[in-house]
Amino acid sequence: MVKMTLIARVTDGLPLAEGLDDGRDLPDSDMYKQQVKSLFKNLSRGHNEASRMSVETGPYIFHYIIEGRVCYLTMCDRSYPKKLAFQYLEDLKNEFERVNGPNIETAARPYAFIKFDTFIQKTKKLYQDTRTQRNIAKLNDELYEVHQIMTRNVQEVLGVGEKLDQVSEMSSRLTSESRVYADKAKDLNRQALIRKWAPVAIVLGVVFLLFWVKNKLW
Amino acid sequence: MNTENRNFPARPPPPPFSSSPFASAPPPGVVPPQSGGPEAVGFRPPARPFTPSGPHMAQPAGVMRPAGQPPLVSQLPGSRPPPPSFPSTAYGPPGGGSFHRFPTPPPSGVPPPPQTLAGHLSPPMSFRPQQPMASVTMGPPPQSMTSGIPGGFASPSGPGFQQSMPGGPQPSYPGYPSNQVLQGPPKPFQSPSQGPPSAVSSYPPQTGGFAQHPGQQNMHPSYAPPPTSNVQGLVEDFNSLSLSNIPGSLEPGFDHTSFPRPLDGDVEPSSFAEAYPMNCHSRYLRLTTNAIPNSQSLASRWHLPLGAVVCPLAEAPEGEEVPLIDFGSSGIIRCRRCRTYVNPYVTFTDSGRKWRCNICSMLNEVPGEYFSHLDATGRRMDLDQRLELTKGSVEIIAPTEYMVRPPMPPIYFFLIDVSFSATKSGMLEVATQTIKSCLDNLPGYPRTQIGFITYDSTLHFYNMKSSLSQPQMMVVSDLDDIFVPLPDDLLVNLSESRNVVEAFLDSLPLMFQNNVNVESAFGPALKAAYMVMNQLGGKLLIFQNSLPSLGVGRLKLRGDDPRVYGTDKEYTLRVAEDTFYKQMAADCTKFQIGINVYAFSDKYTDIASLGTLAKYTGGQVYYYPGFQSSIHGDKLRHELARDLTRETAWESVMRIRCGKGIRFSSYHGNFMLRSTDLLALPAVDCDKAYAMQLTLEETLLTTQTVYFQVALLYTASCGERRIRVHTAVAPVVTDLGEMYRQADTGSIVSVYTRLAIEKTLSSKLDDARNVIQQKIVKALREYRNLNAVQHRLGSRLIYPESLKFLPLYGLAIGKSTPLQGGPADASLDERCAAGFTMMALPVKKLLKLLYPSLFRVDEWLLKPSADFDDLKDVLRRLPLAAESLDSRGLYIYDDGFRLVLWFGRMLSPDIAKNLLGADFAAELSRVTLQEQENGMSKKLMRLIKKVRENDPSYHPMCFLVRQGEQPREGFLLLRHLIEDQMGGSTSYVDWVLQLHRQIQQNA
Repeated sequence: MVKMTLIARVTDGLPLAEGLDDGRDLPDSDMYKQQVKSLFKNLSRGHNEASRMSVETGPYIFHYIIEGRVCYLTMCDRSYPKKLAFQYLEDLKNEFERVNGPNIETAARPYAFIKFDTFIQKTKKLYQDTRTQRNIAKLNDELYEVHQIMTRNVQEVLGVGEKLDQVSEMSSRLTSESRVYADKAKDLNRQALIRKWAPVAIVLGVVFLLFWVKNKLW
Repeated sequence: MNTENRNFPARPPPPPFSSSPFASAPPPGVVPPQSGGPEAVGFRPPARPFTPSGPHMAQPAGVMRPAGQPPLVSQLPGSRPPPPSFPSTAYGPPGGGSFHRFPTPPPSGVPPPPQTLAGHLSPPMSFRPQQPMASVTMGPPPQSMTSGIPGGFASPSGPGFQQSMPGGPQPSYPGYPSNQVLQGPPKPFQSPSQGPPSAVSSYPPQTGGFAQHPGQQNMHPSYAPPPTSNVQGLVEDFNSLSLSNIPGSLEPGFDHTSFPRPLDGDVEPSSFAEAYPMNCHSRYLRLTTNAIPNSQSLASRWHLPLGAVVCPLAEAPEGEEVPLIDFGSSGIIRCRRCRTYVNPYVTFTDSGRKWRCNICSMLNEVPGEYFSHLDATGRRMDLDQRLELTKGSVEIIAPTEYMVRPPMPPIYFFLIDVSFSATKSGMLEVATQTIKSCLDNLPGYPRTQIGFITYDSTLHFYNMKSSLSQPQMMVVSDLDDIFVPLPDDLLVNLSESRNVVEAFLDSLPLMFQNNVNVESAFGPALKAAYMVMNQLGGKLLIFQNSLPSLGVGRLKLRGDDPRVYGTDKEYTLRVAEDTFYKQMAADCTKFQIGINVYAFSDKYTDIASLGTLAKYTGGQVYYYPGFQSSIHGDKLRHELARDLTRETAWESVMRIRCGKGIRFSSYHGNFMLRSTDLLALPAVDCDKAYAMQLTLEETLLTTQTVYFQVALLYTASCGERRIRVHTAVAPVVTDLGEMYRQADTGSIVSVYTRLAIEKTLSSKLDDARNVIQQKIVKALREYRNLNAVQHRLGSRLIYPESLKFLPLYGLAIGKSTPLQGGPADASLDERCAAGFTMMALPVKKLLKLLYPSLFRVDEWLLKPSADFDDLKDVLRRLPLAAESLDSRGLYIYDDGFRLVLWFGRMLSPDIAKNLLGADFAAELSRVTLQEQENGMSKKLMRLIKKVRENDPSYHPMCFLVRQGEQPREGFLLLRHLIEDQMGGSTSYVDWVLQLHRQIQQNA
């Protein structure tokens, strides 16, 4: 069963449309939406992802397709047939490109095609029940192959970006720390020098002072 | 101060003024009255020195003066009208007009000469320059003129004024005509050289102002210009009513026709807007005073409320729409610390790389995309393209960060009572017809959603799935455990299910035609609606016809017990009885559901409880007592259509920010406060205004100016998330007099009305009225003390020019429906409904309701000319007193909610016949006004239509009443003539005397 549907532009992760009343009776829909958003962000950062992918998250699974720089994503129950989910996304894609195709690149504000939500809503209902004649027919349709679509875990997917970030962060931290180290070493050196010669210098100074005072007095 | 800087250059070189050349050479640029604002400042100081010479010049040759004077006077228009507005009708009774007695010799004595010229001038001079529009003080030079011939008070401005008049557009003298009462008997007004006729003809609309006093115009000629006309004592900062005969009888003591009356409606201090052209328009934000006190001690001496009235979505006239701005990739530019939006008052520094926030003076980086070089004067090169840096009001497209979910579609959900009374009164039919006719105009096509629940003793849900041809009805009779029988399709997309919805609306009245059920399961129905709507939110319209009697939220007939009235428990009747309502309202707000309540019953329906729903969800209450479709049908049709089709802002929140050291401490209106300063408004539109009060947090403000920024984040019906930002600035002053001068009566009255209505929810009506009275007394007493030192006040009631209408509006608040009289004067429901309505009204609308307009139309109807150009003439407002009504006339009373046509007893039968057709002699309560086949009737109907179109937010219903037709006449009209004494209430005259006495008590 389709839980939520989002459409976003891959180039900058800008959300273009979203299903209406998504997340109904979903206790932690906010968390999943957050995951979707970071997923989009990952995609927009240009990690080369397959154009079709399934991502597991908790009891649900995200399916998405990327086509024409637009990502169509839906979240379903794990038990929901993958085949139907992808057909649903195909349907959305075809309609979305037909209606909004030329304007996708120029859209500037978020949810610029929010009007599309009525279509999402309608299509969703068609796919709601897996046992309708229509859906069974689709399931049996051998033409549409989904076996080779990769399934990964959401932590993994989101992790890729995170790990890269971590590495670069670490290396930058390393450089800055080493610079600090060099500075500190220099400083210590100077201090050691001072510590070594300061007493001598002071004693000499006192002696000279005494000489000078003596000369002056007499 | 920036205004000063701006103004000084504009000031014409002083020399011409200082000597007689002045008279002969009026500075050319100054003459047009429009230029008043800025010029005023420039002018003033020079004018002072000039005054001494004034007498000499003017005395010998009255003719000369006019030539020289116009500049002086020309300042008036833009800014406040000068105190000595000659027109005040009071002059009428030359002898008896103790009213303006100010310097009239006998009673109050000759103008107090103790003040020498120099002494006088200095104080005004010292602060004048600070204020951009001090024109108030402008007009007449200081009183101290030794030659001060008492009579010559208002003189200089008088003639000059007339002169400049014809040249300048009249509108620019807005406040002028209102007959404020002035101290000086302005005899020179009619100085022959100017010729009275010209004066009269030159301001038709204005004369309307004083016309209350019929024959006043005729009197003008009788004023011979006193020999030394122009000497008028000091520049008074205030107006006064001379009430010297107080202890005695009212009668000839003074002339109450000259009391100030807002016959021109709401006059905004326009000079302020001129001084700060980048401020947002006053229709969006109005401060109670355009001068913010610099210290807490000063603020505490200003006894009037310190605050603002905000109407964030006010309708803008064509061509002045708020521009829409998209910041694109740079993101919205806001201050990092205080989150202020970029606005015209921020300053760019560091060759354009940084900008300084005007509210918290924090230095912020300018993002790369937004960078622009500065020119030599420090202005951005691209200033002309950046509307957000030049306009006080802008609308910004919000990026994703401002959304917690995708923008919601407009949703309208209807909760309709279908019990016996609803069908019998015809409400059901009118409502369904109206909804059907509005389907095409609902905002937000094609996303708009719509749904219905009806209820009597059971709940009826309707499945309106687009694939059905007829809606399916589902009945739920279990009221204790409400459930929604279908997961979806109760709320459907209108464009898809259009046919089903139409079929439903057609069949609904028929379905319940013979319903005899009289119960009302309102509470459970509300819960069900909430369950259907809470996914997305939207607007819930409730049509309630009787007292909720079943299930949760059932209400008792508590208004019936007469013993409660007058006791300390009285107020409990005006607050919600059951916490269920407040709780539901809170839940609804949380899920972005805004509720509008339409109540129709002729019996008690506990609007106090039902209205709570609207109050806390930012909605409003429409009340049609004793609804009959034949009578109220039109009103419901228009108001429901307006409600459905006006541009609405969804899921919005509003916040107002202000500079350091001050803080908005309380908010008044219909909304829910989400945190200390965030107003949650599930559905807000152009007809809603909110009042708020300020407090000073720091003992001393060091800044020169204070900035205010209103930000409303909302979803437009088209699915765009937007932020509407209004920015305004006000100077900080150290002088109490300046605060009074810059006061805005309309805004103050709005705040007071809301405070008074809130007060009725916790105490007796009497107490609420007294609170307002005390506040006004305190404010005026303070003002009196302020001026008592300089001037001999005698027994005059003095008030600043800017607040001249405050006493009258104070009286009007006490006589408004929510506060008037005792329990017998208005039914509990009417009171509460009016209270909820008035809490949300914008300033102009509220002022009109408080002091409705009354005008005479029979003469206009008889005039053959059919054109409408003279409409302004017709709509000349008269004072709201029974003596304005001439039994030979036909009058229209219009408070924005009702139109009452009053037929005088001696009105020519022809008119009545023409207007009412055959049944002109019948009892008017049964007659409705319809267009007849004759010119006169058509003319009247056009006029009424015009009046209605002027303000579409409510549809004023037309009532006809004949003089002497009791009790209808009293109920419809006489009771609303607020200047008269009715029952236990005071008349305007008594009220002023009462105020005056109280002011003097501790003065």
